[in-house]
Amino acid sequence: MSTWRERAERTLGRLVEASAAERIFISLAALAMSIFVGGFVILVSGFVATCSEPFLTRAMLVTIPGSGGWGIAIPLPGSFCYNPIQVYKYLFIGAFADPQQFSLVPFNPAIDQYSLAGTLRETSMLLFTGLAVAVAFRAGMFNIGTQGQLVLGALGSVLSVLWTAPYVPSGIVGGIILIPVGLVAGAAVGGAYGAIPGAMKAYADTNEVITTIMLNFIATGIAFVLVSEYFKKPGSGNVETRAIPGYAALSPSLFPRGSSFSLLVLVGALVLTVGIYLLLHRTAFGYDLRTSGIQPEAAEYGGVNAKKTMVSSMALSGAIGGIGGAIYVLMILNRWQTGVPSYGFDGITVTILAGNNPLGVPLAALLFGMLKSGSLTIDFALGVPKQLVGVLRGLIILFVAMPEFFRMLGKRWVTPGAQGENAVATDGGTPTEGGESDE
Amino acid sequence: MNSRIRIAGLSIGSVVVLGLLGLLFPGSAVGRLVGTIDVSYASAALRFTVPIAFAALGGIFAEKSGVINIGLEGLLIISAFTGVAVADAMAGPAGASQTTLWLGFFAAVAASTLFALLFAIVCIEFKADQIIAGLAVWLIALGLAPFASKVIWGRVNSPSVGTLNDWQIPLFADIPVVGPIFFDANPTVYMLLAAVPLSWFVLNETAFGRWVRSSGENPMALDTVGVDVRRVRYASVLLSGFLAGIGGAGLSLGQAGLFNGSGTTMVDGRGWIGITAYLFGNYNPLGAFGASFLFAGLDALQIRLQQAGFQLPNELIGIIPYVTVIVVLAFVGRTRTPSAAGEHYESGEE
Repeated sequence: MSTWRERAERTLGRLVEASAAERIFISLAALAMSIFVGGFVILVSGFVATCSEPFLTRAMLVTIPGSGGWGIAIPLPGSFCYNPIQVYKYLFIGAFADPQQFSLVPFNPAIDQYSLAGTLRETSMLLFTGLAVAVAFRAGMFNIGTQGQLVLGALGSVLSVLWTAPYVPSGIVGGIILIPVGLVAGAAVGGAYGAIPGAMKAYADTNEVITTIMLNFIATGIAFVLVSEYFKKPGSGNVETRAIPGYAALSPSLFPRGSSFSLLVLVGALVLTVGIYLLLHRTAFGYDLRTSGIQPEAAEYGGVNAKKTMVSSMALSGAIGGIGGAIYVLMILNRWQTGVPSYGFDGITVTILAGNNPLGVPLAALLFGMLKSGSLTIDFALGVPKQLVGVLRGLIILFVAMPEFFRMLGKRWVTPGAQGENAVATDGGTPTEGGESDE
Repeated sequence: MNSRIRIAGLSIGSVVVLGLLGLLFPGSAVGRLVGTIDVSYASAALRFTVPIAFAALGGIFAEKSGVINIGLEGLLIISAFTGVAVADAMAGPAGASQTTLWLGFFAAVAASTLFALLFAIVCIEFKADQIIAGLAVWLIALGLAPFASKVIWGRVNSPSVGTLNDWQIPLFADIPVVGPIFFDANPTVYMLLAAVPLSWFVLNETAFGRWVRSSGENPMALDTVGVDVRRVRYASVLLSGFLAGIGGAGLSLGQAGLFNGSGTTMVDGRGWIGITAYLFGNYNPLGAFGASFLFAGLDALQIRLQQAGFQLPNELIGIIPYVTVIVVLAFVGRTRTPSAAGEHYESGEE
């Protein structure tokens, strides 16, 4: 038994090491491809859109530099409103600075505290949901249900704080008691809700992809009904709860008031990241979890209780999602309201981009935090709909899903001539006809 | 299989009991509920079945051939949006006519099929993980449709373009009860009523159907007898895009007459319910249709309940179909997926 374990551990370690560099390369390549294809989407949508000042007009005059206005007029099918390069510049720079004043030479960072706080706020939220999804994925469970776990965790957190508040003193002491209460309640509710699809998979053999998606819809419905029927703020026209007391909120630290970002939360999220990494790689539970994810049959043979691992990994994943929900209400909204942003779905993207590695999650979360925050800038400054980020999110996942695409692309670059023979040699199969990369 | 029959029997039994109770006590809550169920309820339920069942039929073909198409929800979104966008773009100053609506319909089906082609290339050519690629299809559609709506109309919802006219079949439409349900319906309903038996026939009685099934069960055997597995899989995935396209267009152009892109968009999980429907129907088109009709019937029922003024919050009734899916899955549990589903096949592998 123990030798089996050791051998499995070694193989696992080698697999991870060997693929780590490749995972990073694939993630970066996927990112580059998504930006490229996304640029094409921006260009085409700019052709459809109408605007007063297009960046390319019907007859574009391309002048030769230094010739005093000599050039050729290239006829275009119409005018194009959005300049992809400018959109990307605003998208990324707008995440932390004022894109109009920002310059590298002479260096002027033009840091905008609100934009930066917005980016880091989104990053922290995505860190929680990304970790939540990653834990489940590592255990071989496709948890698409983080959104539902987050929504209910957020509600549980608000309600527990509202219920506890009358019994504790106000002020800092109250905050010290109430914030942990809110976090624990969020984790408990999210964990319990996450355990449901885990238990259903373990004991009724249901497909967790389907159940978690259904449970997302159910969570939204339950939360809506609970709030609108029982916990609604008196006299409010919206479906929302009362606000939590100010001293129970995670108030902004270092950043301006009203920025809804507390640096403590980001630090906490990073600590949690390291904690999850250690849990996965340094504990018996983490070992069971990972082997179940890679080789369920072998794991069971090696003495891992597969059913228990399914339930506990999903509960852990749900609990982290629930903490994300608690952070959302304690730091950002201070109440529960319908229309919780889709942090859960973004978490899926984050973890897939991070190759399900907890240590990669912060970087992926930062990237998506920038995109989400920058999307407000492009909407506001350039009139490009902020939903563009949703398209980029999908494209990134699509490209991450097909490492083979990049391998073929790479092969082509290295040996452009002997493509067919190469394919035989490396694949051990017949050459893929043409190997076309029609993207 | 037994549990499936048991559940089917149980649900039919409880419906009958409820119906009897309702007839005996017309004043009770159940009585009022049964009172709302009539011919127009049945035809509404059938109309609601269209997107779910078409997604389910598409899913069956793809998965039977060995490609799990989890992106059906995305295909529905793309076709629902494209249908309205094209119909709106073609419309003259007087608004979209039936001709432009039909142009929109065909464009919608074409767009969904093209999207499915992209998915097929990614999965078959580039050996992508089918679940992740399917998620990507969903997420791209979920981002792209509202984005394009904003670009075209300035907001995520389209203006109203109208719906495809119902087709009334003379004489038959006058038959009581059955007539108004089956012979005075939206064209997309007729398409569904034709597609279900046709899909069953194609899958079970034709050479192509045999190829599809063996491509998902034992691709190597299929390869050995000289049939190109890749081609069969491409055809099946394209077919799933084609069918889902009709479903999505049926939703936007057959029912709503507009595209709504807020939140989870107007498709609102119907693609996922479609997947559940074919799992529940055990990959049989007829069973999948039955399950789709059950879920759509619940959906139509919640609208009825609201109209009948039941003192239940709308959202609570709104989650009934999803809860049903969960309960059904808990009891039916595992369905036997084709053994090569989700796996890549390379010709010449030993």
